[in-house]
Amino acid sequence: MKTETLDRLRSKIVQIDAMPAIPVILRPLLRCLDQPVEDVDMNRIVELVSYDKSIAAQCIRMANSALFMRSSPADTVRGAVMSLGMWRVRDLLFSNSLSHVIPADRWVVDPVIFWKHSLGVALVCRKFAEMIDYPDPEKAYLAGLLHDIGMLVNCMVVPEEFRATLEKAAREQIPLDEAELATLGFTHCDTGRILAEAWKMPADIADAIELHHQIGDPDRGGPLVALVHLSDLLCRMRDLGYGYYEPRQIDFPNEPGWLYLSMKFPAMSGIDLARFTFALDEYAREVGDLVATVFAG
Amino acid sequence: MANESTLIHDEAATPESLADPAWIRIRDLIYQVSGIYQAENKFYLLVGRATRRMKVVGARTPREYLDCLTSRPNRDAEMRNLLNEITIGETCLFRSMPQIEALRRVIIPAVAEAKKKLSFTKLRFWSAGCSTGEESYTLAMLLMEETQGALKGWTFDVVATDLNDRSVAKAQEGVYNDYAVRNVPPEFMRKYFQKVGTEYRVTDDVKSHITFSRLNMLDDSKMLFMRGLDVIFCCNVLIYFDGKSKARTVQHFFNALLPNGYFFLGHSESLYGISEKFHLVHFPGATAYWKPAEGAAKAGTR
Repeated sequence: MKTETLDRLRSKIVQIDAMPAIPVILRPLLRCLDQPVEDVDMNRIVELVSYDKSIAAQCIRMANSALFMRSSPADTVRGAVMSLGMWRVRDLLFSNSLSHVIPADRWVVDPVIFWKHSLGVALVCRKFAEMIDYPDPEKAYLAGLLHDIGMLVNCMVVPEEFRATLEKAAREQIPLDEAELATLGFTHCDTGRILAEAWKMPADIADAIELHHQIGDPDRGGPLVALVHLSDLLCRMRDLGYGYYEPRQIDFPNEPGWLYLSMKFPAMSGIDLARFTFALDEYAREVGDLVATVFAG
Repeated sequence: MANESTLIHDEAATPESLADPAWIRIRDLIYQVSGIYQAENKFYLLVGRATRRMKVVGARTPREYLDCLTSRPNRDAEMRNLLNEITIGETCLFRSMPQIEALRRVIIPAVAEAKKKLSFTKLRFWSAGCSTGEESYTLAMLLMEETQGALKGWTFDVVATDLNDRSVAKAQEGVYNDYAVRNVPPEFMRKYFQKVGTEYRVTDDVKSHITFSRLNMLDDSKMLFMRGLDVIFCCNVLIYFDGKSKARTVQHFFNALLPNGYFFLGHSESLYGISEKFHLVHFPGATAYWKPAEGAAKAGTR
């Protein structure tokens, strides 16, 4: 998108004071993510969880769900955090804090579909990053989780037009960004970029948010853009998409993002795509549990 | 290869039994041998069905059963028995809706468009290892719908082959019970079946598009004659072949397909390690192996 158009969009968003606020616990969480998982201070995580009563309750409820098969119920936040493990707690914290980014009555997209897709892409991004020895799988997770955050800006800024756009995309079974360009003249990638800058997100995450549908020149965005782009497509092909059928064929090994990662990461050649695809169905269950937990609270 | 379409009562798999790490190794072994992958959300199926085999061979733990599959003298036979258990009941009409949608929404329109440019107006599908005919009839019904709609004026035929004479004879009858037709959409039931007693008989119109015959896929001289196909289905058959036979058969399928043709396996089956010429392509909820046309554009998607 042209800089001047982006500037105009930005000033419009600021003018009507529609920019979603960054969730309070997001910054400390991001700091936790900056370190290797073994160095994360469990006490700090327990503290963050305890900070918000509804999140604490969700952790305890999830730890006691059938998925974790505990012999005795977890009744403290610490017990729940231990039982869920660092990753799941962080997944829960992120999705919870982000689900309150805009007021409940302002959602134009179906929040369950939105979070299932976002969490699905986050988990696939992390797994993909680990498989190819990308140095920062947690950053890949975060980029995946936030890649569609611009849709929330759209809900705030142009709710009616965005609703019509979603309907058009589902009716014509075309990619959402294509429908956005036709009806709005900008996409959730553009508004996502503006939000990412306002939230002072790392530059490569902002790039991944902006470029995940437009990976024309992979060098511009680097590996993170390619990871998010491919994970987004994989999720849309495995029942973690936008909630409508997209009649299309994707030849992953000949996608520009795949070819780009293949040049940068030797481990790409060892990926068994068929097996990776089948294993994605395992995420659907994990994502379903997580989203159910967040929305039950 | 014939799978009876009966209601399967799986052994109940408890959370504790699912947690045994030996299951992961059994799952991975099945994948290496057959290309069939059981995702963790379907683990209870694998465990339930393998538990039945464990009782037969007297293995007390998954670890012991893993030994039966890896180090006992009759390990190959036991793997075959296990694969039989895993794929049993997988045959019914309209088995995999994501595959059917991919055919209807993406593949048939794309193949037809490419053929039309060459002034061809005929489609040819092959159900390889057709068992008792469920897949063959599903394909024929789909193609009948298409040639009455978007592809008016087109013709098609379905070639259906199986190694087993009795399966071929049963397929030719085209008579199915409630369970085999449970996924058939109501409008297809009305148009393409006649109720005979408690069973359902496929109409002669559908049958007229299908040629059933016996074929051994390991017989090179016969396989060489299979040519000019747009789509091939071969579900849960190659899993029983050793690596060499599998590679040879897949090569025959590749040669039999026209450029731009598609090769489908069972919904959780893959060509582990033998798909260099084919491109594994994705559709919503389904994958297939694609034979690209020479010089096909490698366009990116968004």
